[in-house]
Amino acid sequence: MADMKMLDASDRGLSSGYMMWYRFSRNPAAVVGSLILISIVILAVFAPWLTPYPKHVGAVVDFRARHLPPDASHWFGTDKAGRDIFSRTVFGLRVSLLLVIGVLGISVPVGTVLGLIAGYFGGWVEKLITGLTNVMLAMPPLVMALAVSNLLEPTLTNAMIAITLLWWTWHARLIYSVSKSIASEDYIEAARLAGAGPIHILFREILPNCLAVISVKTTLDAAFVILFGATLSFLGFGVKPPTPDLGSMVADGRQFMPDFWWEVLCPGAVVFYVTLGFNLLGDGLRDMFDVEN
Amino acid sequence: MQQHPLVAILTRLGMFVLVMIALSIMIFVLARVVPGDPARMALGPAATQEQVEALRQQMGLDRPLPVQYLDYANKALHGDLGMSLVSQRPVTTDLAQTVPATVELVLVSVIFMFAVAIPLGVITAHYRNRSFDYIGRFLSLTGVTIPSFLFAITMQLVAARYLSDWPIIGRLDHGLAWQGGPTGFLLIDGTLAGRFDVVLNALKHLALPAFALSMAGIGQITRITRSSMLENQRKDHVLTLKSFGVPERIIIFRYLLKLSSIAPLTIMGLEFASLIGNAFVIEMIFAWGGFASYGLTSILQKDLNAVTAVVLVAGLFFIIANLIVDVVISIIDPRLRRKEAR
Repeated sequence: MADMKMLDASDRGLSSGYMMWYRFSRNPAAVVGSLILISIVILAVFAPWLTPYPKHVGAVVDFRARHLPPDASHWFGTDKAGRDIFSRTVFGLRVSLLLVIGVLGISVPVGTVLGLIAGYFGGWVEKLITGLTNVMLAMPPLVMALAVSNLLEPTLTNAMIAITLLWWTWHARLIYSVSKSIASEDYIEAARLAGAGPIHILFREILPNCLAVISVKTTLDAAFVILFGATLSFLGFGVKPPTPDLGSMVADGRQFMPDFWWEVLCPGAVVFYVTLGFNLLGDGLRDMFDVEN
Repeated sequence: MQQHPLVAILTRLGMFVLVMIALSIMIFVLARVVPGDPARMALGPAATQEQVEALRQQMGLDRPLPVQYLDYANKALHGDLGMSLVSQRPVTTDLAQTVPATVELVLVSVIFMFAVAIPLGVITAHYRNRSFDYIGRFLSLTGVTIPSFLFAITMQLVAARYLSDWPIIGRLDHGLAWQGGPTGFLLIDGTLAGRFDVVLNALKHLALPAFALSMAGIGQITRITRSSMLENQRKDHVLTLKSFGVPERIIIFRYLLKLSSIAPLTIMGLEFASLIGNAFVIEMIFAWGGFASYGLTSILQKDLNAVTAVVLVAGLFFIIANLIVDVVISIIDPRLRRKEAR
């Protein structure tokens, strides 16, 4: 009985914000995922104050301390130049998060708007946009990103441009299918009869109904973008040294396998931690909003 | 209105041709407009301006882009993808040498993927919310989440530490006297030549990279199989079977599994693009020397003809994989067969 009342917001005068919080707090995946992400954001933002050796992000060389195994003063050990790997991975989080913000900040709005337009208007616009997304989907994203970023110049910005160029298609495709099914609903027809213009219908009627799908997809995508960025920089298409970057740290450490395993496994595990956070949150949100795959 | 499966497949085929054309134009233009003169790069900094101009003319780089593209497309259709500027051999020769290694790796990975993921999906769905389900879901989450390079390197480290005889790089031991065979697939050539030592050795070399490459797919397919098994369990015809007292075993394997393998197959087709991408990482880590390794070197060297060919072949892989998926689905999906039966 208590549960029933809790879930009936209007009855108890509970705000919809509280309802969301209630469902969220009952979802272990979402809670753990959020906690992981909060820890990551705090670490990345306050990195200079939270890391033991903030100076080690630069071109510091301390040969007496090179290749030290993990211990109390160097949690993740030290690398070939004697730099603290823990400090460098924490700073490396900044690069990963910037990549996520950069890529999704552009590709999600672009993909959403194009998807909405294709789903609502139909006709040649629909054909053009879906045709374009189909072509883009046939391209192995990693191969394309490698080709684009290297033909320009192998930097993080170019890698980001390359990823963004491909990424909007996934969003466009998803939003297109949602918006197409919403566009045939009666309330859209009612809005149209009431004299609503296409801008109003797209952004005030259809878009709010896509928000759940968008938030789940964006969260899960953030994990993919991180993986993708780390993979690109692992293959040698990342930021320029000495700026720490998780993927290139793994690649650097690979030269010293298997003796100095921590130089590979610790930065790699941090990538895993970040992607795990986003994936858990995404899965949790999916259960909360009851969105299908 | 259901389309006849053959019509549907032909439509898809037509679309794939369009996709290939669009893809080729895109990568061709991209490879031509980027900064850096391929002629200069091929000759090196010591060459004189005249030499560079002469090579530019010889390579046809001085003509307008559309003309260059049509020329390229025409030659490509006749099996000429140009010369690799780095290896100084036709790109097709390079591809013929490297593609079989990758296809072998990818095929073994895909087999592995389905062999592990489908049973895991079925079992986790069957034991829903019991401990086995949680273990399976945790494993599939790990598969989806873990960076392929981390997993591959970890396996290499573990193998190097605990299985000292197990090969961790390359396709074959150097000690084996093996000249290569007609297909380039070690497993096929070895069997044809009756050299089972080669087959066994190749399989040992394949195990780790194939497992590493299949990890992401195992995670995805397990999840999707599980959720579509659960979803289909609630369908009316399954409930009917249950109420008729048909044994659970038969329902799962005869009816549910067939229906529930459509979603994972579709996803497999789409995920094939990222599988090829991951092959770049896996081949690099395991020094595989296949198509992806070739692609990586040619991209690093800005070998334009090779880069263009690599992107096209990667696109072609994707398309072929999706065609196969379409055919398989039209075979197992009874709803697509209905029209034929009538």
